[in-house]
Amino acid sequence: MVGYLKLEILRSLRDPRYLVLALAAPVGFYILFAGLFGNDAGAYGVAAKVDIMVSMGVYGALWAVLQATGPRIAQDRGIGWLRQIRLLPVRPNAILAARLLSGMALAAPAIVLVFITAALTHGVRLEAGQWIALGLLLWIGSVPLAVLGIAIGHALGAESAFGMLYGLSVVLSALGGLWMPISMFPNSLQTVGKLLPSFQAANLGWRVVGGHAPFYSSFLVLIVWLIAFAALALYFTRRAPSSR
Amino acid sequence: MIDEGRMIQSTTGVAPDEDRVNTTEQVAVRLDGLAKSFGSVRAVDDLSLVIRPGETVALLGPNGAGKTTTVSMLLGLLTPDSGTASVLGMAPTAAIQSGRIGAMLQEGNLMPGVRISELLDYVLSLRSSPMTRAELVEMAQLQGMEKRRIDRLSGGQTQRVRFALAIASNPEVLVLDEPTSAMDVEARHDFWASMRKYVSGGRTVLFATHYLEEAEAFASRVVVIASGRIVADGTVAELKRGAGMRTVQFQSREAGARQWQALAGVKTADVYRERVTLKTTDADATVRALAGGDFDWKDLDVRGASLEDVFMELVGNGHARNGGN
Repeated sequence: MVGYLKLEILRSLRDPRYLVLALAAPVGFYILFAGLFGNDAGAYGVAAKVDIMVSMGVYGALWAVLQATGPRIAQDRGIGWLRQIRLLPVRPNAILAARLLSGMALAAPAIVLVFITAALTHGVRLEAGQWIALGLLLWIGSVPLAVLGIAIGHALGAESAFGMLYGLSVVLSALGGLWMPISMFPNSLQTVGKLLPSFQAANLGWRVVGGHAPFYSSFLVLIVWLIAFAALALYFTRRAPSSR
Repeated sequence: MIDEGRMIQSTTGVAPDEDRVNTTEQVAVRLDGLAKSFGSVRAVDDLSLVIRPGETVALLGPNGAGKTTTVSMLLGLLTPDSGTASVLGMAPTAAIQSGRIGAMLQEGNLMPGVRISELLDYVLSLRSSPMTRAELVEMAQLQGMEKRRIDRLSGGQTQRVRFALAIASNPEVLVLDEPTSAMDVEARHDFWASMRKYVSGGRTVLFATHYLEEAEAFASRVVVIASGRIVADGTVAELKRGAGMRTVQFQSREAGARQWQALAGVKTADVYRERVTLKTTDADATVRALAGGDFDWKDLDVRGASLEDVFMELVGNGHARNGGN
């Protein structure tokens, strides 16, 4: 499994889609938005430049985990690589686990890169413990989406999987309050937004940078999504081998 | 003349002396009453086959004969509608997990974005293979290409990497589905050269092909399938003899083919630019009749049937019989 994980990570590091959309884009957006609104008072009790750092960290992690799983798996199914793997002495579950972990592994640099950018360009300072907790929470918060990516990869073809990923990233980030604070939404949209895994992942971070413990409800929402996505993934991975 | 009943076995495929061989240890591959349909098409139809360790078997048949379907069931990629497949006494998927069977498919790309060396290191790590990467690279003739990206290889190069993946776990049984279909003549030649080297250690090989030359040059046993059934099973020599056809050729200035058709034993006669080609079931009688008659002829040549003749005869029959059902 570790061997396959290594291959998947190497593959992403050579993939412009990962480098641009998961690593460069969040950094660029951070510089843009923090430059515009960074010194305003944020919605979570700290300066906006800190809020936005959390938002863009979640955004980068979202791209990293989804693109390392969904379109990647769909592509491998389409070109027949998954069939070839079935002829190697390796368990299909080990491959799935490696895919999930590769998504997670690739999310870490996306998060850290935004942190570094925030610290360097806008002088964002947190306590050491806060940095660590924030990084870990944003990272863990992206697990449900990595599992969703696995379901998408087994349900769709390569091109539609990428389209789906693009659409999802727009919906999850916009409605999840990553582009503007959710408190600026109309009430009904707020209710919807707060149910999204993207909002709750970011909410873990917003609480930490404000000096508070995260809400239990955030974990609860993320766990419910995780279970739902895992059920989807299970359904589609079981269905997929016979369909090809 | 060999006993045709042993060779032309459309349903059992098992030679009589193999009936007693039931211990799994002595059987590399056993297919037992395999059947698979896709919609109304019966791709594989009650196919049984026993391959013993050390045999090199060609699964020969025209496109659509059911070769790939058979191989897919043998590898556990497809579930048979009925019948069973086993490798070294194990279920196909268990055999693959054990690394004792290696396989190479006809189509399907490899993992894009990684280098040959990276992919080979990975597969070598799976079943603590006794082979080093250098040995594997040499065996698959990938020297000097290790740094290349998998997605930037030609069809023939990709096929060599696939071969490397198939042999990385040092398997006792190797299954290849149309291994050379994407290769040019030179690559094909190189491929069989590496294959020869690899199987010289007494390994079992089953390869599907529609190239007669490959079956003839490489297989110790040829299993001919048509319409999902085995229509012949034997060595190339046995198949040729079993077909019972021989070819008599000579030069003649006489026009027409009628007089040749009338000679003893002759089934078909072709005349092309004074070259007469007769297919005969009794070459001796044909030649005697030719010599005894008042014909113009020279440059006599008598040959056994080519594998192609045998193949056309067998596959033609197979189609006719199944078509009639």
